[in-house]
Amino acid sequence: MNVQDAIDLNAVVTTPENIRFEYRMAGPFRRLPALVLDFGMRIAIFLAILFFIALVGITGRGLGGGFLFLGVMIAWFALDWFYGLFFETYWNGQTPGKWLTKIRVISVDGRPINAYQATIRNFLRLADFAPMVSLEMFSADAPPMYMIPTFLVSLVCMILTPRFQRLGDLAAGTMVVVNERSWIPPNIKLEDPRVVSLSEHIPANFQMNATLAKAIALYAERRSRIPVFRRLELAAHLAKPLLVRFDFRDDTSPDLLLCALYYREFVSKDAFTNEKRLSLPPPIVSNSLARSQNGLPLESPAEWKPTSDSASLPPILNANPADMDVVSVSAIKAPI
Amino acid sequence: MKIADLVELRRQGWLELERMCDSLQSIKYPFYKNGSMVSRFSALYRAACTDLAMSEQYQLPPATVEYLHRLVGRAHSQLYRSRRFPTQKWVHYIGVIAPQSIFRDPCVKVAFVVFFGLFTLSAILAWSEGSFPGYAERVLGAAQIEGMEKSFAKPLAGNFNQYVTMSGFYIQHNTSIGLQCFALGPLILPSLCALAYNGVVLGATFGYMTRSEVEQGDVFFQFVTAHGVFELTAIALSAAAGLRLGVGLFATGGLQRIESFKLNAERALPIIMTSVILFFMAAFTEGFLSPSPLPYFVKASFAIFSSGLLMVYFVVLGYPRPELSHELATSEDNPWRTIGAGYAAR
Repeated sequence: MNVQDAIDLNAVVTTPENIRFEYRMAGPFRRLPALVLDFGMRIAIFLAILFFIALVGITGRGLGGGFLFLGVMIAWFALDWFYGLFFETYWNGQTPGKWLTKIRVISVDGRPINAYQATIRNFLRLADFAPMVSLEMFSADAPPMYMIPTFLVSLVCMILTPRFQRLGDLAAGTMVVVNERSWIPPNIKLEDPRVVSLSEHIPANFQMNATLAKAIALYAERRSRIPVFRRLELAAHLAKPLLVRFDFRDDTSPDLLLCALYYREFVSKDAFTNEKRLSLPPPIVSNSLARSQNGLPLESPAEWKPTSDSASLPPILNANPADMDVVSVSAIKAPI
Repeated sequence: MKIADLVELRRQGWLELERMCDSLQSIKYPFYKNGSMVSRFSALYRAACTDLAMSEQYQLPPATVEYLHRLVGRAHSQLYRSRRFPTQKWVHYIGVIAPQSIFRDPCVKVAFVVFFGLFTLSAILAWSEGSFPGYAERVLGAAQIEGMEKSFAKPLAGNFNQYVTMSGFYIQHNTSIGLQCFALGPLILPSLCALAYNGVVLGATFGYMTRSEVEQGDVFFQFVTAHGVFELTAIALSAAAGLRLGVGLFATGGLQRIESFKLNAERALPIIMTSVILFFMAAFTEGFLSPSPLPYFVKASFAIFSSGLLMVYFVVLGYPRPELSHELATSEDNPWRTIGAGYAAR
């Protein structure tokens, strides 16, 4: 059975391989361009058929005009009712408009839709377009344009259902998901080569548990979008107890420590081979006296405050990029 | 092993799977004749699935996990492609499943009673001018009556070209109306209104034309007799399919509302498909046989023949047969779910 995230617009799908993976769902405003494109496509195909039939009518004198008219009418009927049905069945849940806007119809259980579902959801499209209005309803001398869809039924229905399903989707048990062809992961940059040398000082017997590893990975992925001093503030919560545990100097930049942990855990050794490495004096505090001299009590990491005065930090461990030689290293190549 | 080394180890497989997805999306059946490629693809897919499942244990970074979600999703939709029409089962579906499910559907009965009841009532009201003066004129409008009288003033004649043209028009126009009747079913009222409107107007027309003082009546019946059986049945059936959808919204039978809606859509499908086929047959009859100057005897025979055909289809083929119940019934006690026809929705 598939569950859905409470906050994110993701549909979780469980496959026959007993794997759960996520699809991002397409909302009404992602689907409207596809609808408009499909409408244009249908008109284009109909005009092409008309043109072809007109050509045949001019050149082929032997054929009766009745058959040409029959062809036009059947083409009109088929395009009106069977366009979406045909493409969604044979193009694996996509019509040309959906293909251009990179969305796809799938069943709610994650499998591609079958012919039956495509039939139901396309036949019921008219109910989703309701209520229809005509310009003549508003003023008597308006140009006679009948049947302008307002999409109100589908819009209300999509708002009320967690998977953005319109009536036809509900009846057929389908949903529309975003189908991106490829996806470029965020490039994680650890600008500072001192990360490497700091990571070498982390005790070898230190084992991260899964939660800590995940938190550190999340931090490293997002830190490029966080201002520098906010980084220090955020990282301090995690880094302060670790500094104490590793017996590092208290003025070690928390940001740098988390990067070092990330490097130690997630980055292969080859990532920095071609870059220059800075040798770092060991950040280990030699005795407990030195720590107490720094005036920071052991048990209260909350009192540690990131200082905005960068001059007060030792130059080597200062994480302020202003006085740092930035060696921009994309630590991990795609697809991480 | 460090996570990075693990990722490095797996990355080649992921990238290869991604390349295969690309080529699968661009060509229709690229691996059609290449079995080893298919097995390679599924092996890579399974490996990626395993990596995703083990991502917690491997402690993969979140960005990699998200990449894996996308990759597995893409490969999944290529591996399990959409199921096409079960063409080999169409004969079985049309000949056995559809009449059985139509015969036992109460919505069909309701739609038939509403349509033919209003039709008969309206016809009687319009016919007996003495008792109900002005009924036909009010329902149909003076202009429409005049137009009708004009179009049926001349005896029927036509050429082959005209017949084909008219068939095309009827296919597009009438079948679209039938399908609209079905599509508006979930909103219930539009579907019922369309059915009642058609019943009243058609009944009034028939009743008016039956009046002895209307001279065009002969030509009118010459025209409508042949295709009337198919067309009137098709109208009632299309509304019945719409009604089935709408009823599913409130008569849930203990299911969740959405589940009941889905179930009733499944039940409605054979009804609307039969209706579409009847509309097509009516359109060709209306195009070719009805406007032709053939004697009335031929057209009446065709009407009797078509009624017999429908009787055989709906009553003889549709009469409940206990030996077929296993094909219609499922674990959810659903007499309409058609496992035999390959339409199982789950």
